Amino acid sequence: MPDILSCYKWVADEAYIRSGSSGALDLNMADYKISDYDKNAIEEAMLLTEKYGGNTAVITVGLPDDTKGVKDALSRGPEKAYFVNDPAFADLEPEQTATLLAAAIASPIPYDIIICGEGSSDLYAQQVGPRLAEKLGIPCLCYVQKVELDGSQLVAERKTDAGIEVVAVELPVLLTVVPDINMPRLPGLRDTLAAGKKPVTEFTADDLPQGQAALLQTTNSKVASITRSSRMFGTDAASIGDLVQELKNSGVIA
Amino acid sequence: MDFRLSEEQELVRQNMREFAQKYVDPIAAEIDESGRFPAEVVAKLGEMGYMGMPYPVQYGGAGTDYLTYALAVEELSKSCAATGFTMSVHTSLALGPINNFGNDEQKKKFLTPLCQGKHLGAFALTEPSAGTDVNAATSTAVLEGGEYVLNGTKTFTSNGPVADTFVTFAWTDKSAGAKGMSAFIVPKDAPGLRVGEHFMKMGIRASQTSEIIFKDCRIPQANLLGGEGQGLKIAMNCFDHGRIGIAAQAVGIAQAAMEESISYAKERVQFGKPISKNQAIQWWIADMATDIDCARFLYMRAAWLKDQGLPFTKEASMAKVFAAEMCMKHSIKAVQIHGGYGYIKGQKVERLMRDAKITEIYEGTSEAQRMVIANNVLR
Repeated sequence: MPDILSCYKWVADEAYIRSGSSGALDLNMADYKISDYDKNAIEEAMLLTEKYGGNTAVITVGLPDDTKGVKDALSRGPEKAYFVNDPAFADLEPEQTATLLAAAIASPIPYDIIICGEGSSDLYAQQVGPRLAEKLGIPCLCYVQKVELDGSQLVAERKTDAGIEVVAVELPVLLTVVPDINMPRLPGLRDTLAAGKKPVTEFTADDLPQGQAALLQTTNSKVASITRSSRMFGTDAASIGDLVQELKNSGVIA
Repeated sequence: MDFRLSEEQELVRQNMREFAQKYVDPIAAEIDESGRFPAEVVAKLGEMGYMGMPYPVQYGGAGTDYLTYALAVEELSKSCAATGFTMSVHTSLALGPINNFGNDEQKKKFLTPLCQGKHLGAFALTEPSAGTDVNAATSTAVLEGGEYVLNGTKTFTSNGPVADTFVTFAWTDKSAGAKGMSAFIVPKDAPGLRVGEHFMKMGIRASQTSEIIFKDCRIPQANLLGGEGQGLKIAMNCFDHGRIGIAAQAVGIAQAAMEESISYAKERVQFGKPISKNQAIQWWIADMATDIDCARFLYMRAAWLKDQGLPFTKEASMAKVFAAEMCMKHSIKAVQIHGGYGYIKGQKVERLMRDAKITEIYEGTSEAQRMVIANNVLR
């Protein structure tokens, strides 16, 4: 019976992100949520343990204030949480996040399967999963849309541009999952109320080896703006020609 | 002083929002149009633990505080005021009296399946001649051979046609005045109970409302709630906490009206700019946001007082009357912001404006709330 560890990121809910007066992103009104595909990662862990037995836990790296996220994750079913937090852990790069996760997991945290969302709802860099697998020295399967277990072997369907690839791998393994894999459940009221009573193990920067400094510096963020150029065209043949020419001129079609 | 909600309260609100977006938003317009009772959604609410939120876990409830429950009502009502009300009237008015005045046996038998959402509850007090004036009721209950025999007609009973369990009121001793009315638990299959006329309503159309007729309706003596003569006290007690739920419902409707107005005003271009750039629209929206916050803080205060075990009757009435009236006012403004489109079926604000009206009427009219408030502040 496998130990399954799901990773999640606590992100600003894009529904509440506003455009500030200077054109920068304004996060003041933002509620936070578990990154969308990470909900699929947690759900898949639950589905697998419901089918094959085993234990589930979640792990995240974030700020000390992100305790609501821990409860949210636990309300979705996992039995325990590992909360890697420090005031220094704001705006981490994927490499830094993966380093911290790997160090915490090496502490050790038992696992046979680690599940991550394919990418995060905010930056969608798709980096943390593969980097974490590399650091742990275990195989990594990305774009996973279906998982089955057969003893110590895991069979996964990967959704690639070329088609569906079926891969068998010995445990332990890290998966990054696409949203097609399942429909995350809504936590019931009792699950939400019970979440705060589940065990949480914390790690802070002092407990973990320091990784590299950030390589990128974010100096500014800008809201993308869309301009509309309401042009009217007729329905006769000549007008359609005009429309095509206009689209070419504006670079929409080549 | 701390205005923050707990993490659990925030999560419950967030989950209810997600629930409503997933299961209620897609059908809200349809059930308003058809008047269909959303039994599948109510069953789902029960499965998820939302049909007995503030009641003890030992009787199938979730054991939350009243504030958490009110927050959930607001979120659900934002998507569909009728569904929010179905949950609220069940929880506050049907389950409340059984929880607050029932004995252990009654709680095991009636409260547990109600809290679990397996049964739906209704509160049958109003009669054709007795609205705000509860004393004008004429229903009677006579003890005969270990059974109470009920006779009378109740009207405007919310959840009436779909309820499994009724809490109702009848005179056991008319000559005793206020101390002559008693409260009873009546299962829907009690002999002599009949669902009368179903009412077609202006708003909250998916909420089911009917007459309930008791004709020599026999129930066991054990279904007497509290003691004989406690009926009025029980009714007034559950009105107090029911009002918190209606205030929350009104806030939900108004919040939805504001959100619809904001997104429409940003999109709607007239005279070459979005109408949200007009100061008139900005001021209306600013007033909406301010009044919604006032109403929300009023119901939260009332719920908090109740949760602390402090008196909250006046505060619940203040929350109810203010929330209901600001909800009516701003849902009308929301239609105005939408112009002609706001008057067309299928626009959410058209439904919200019709739904808003009932909040000024049921569970104590605005005038009744002012009586309660005046009685408290003038004495």
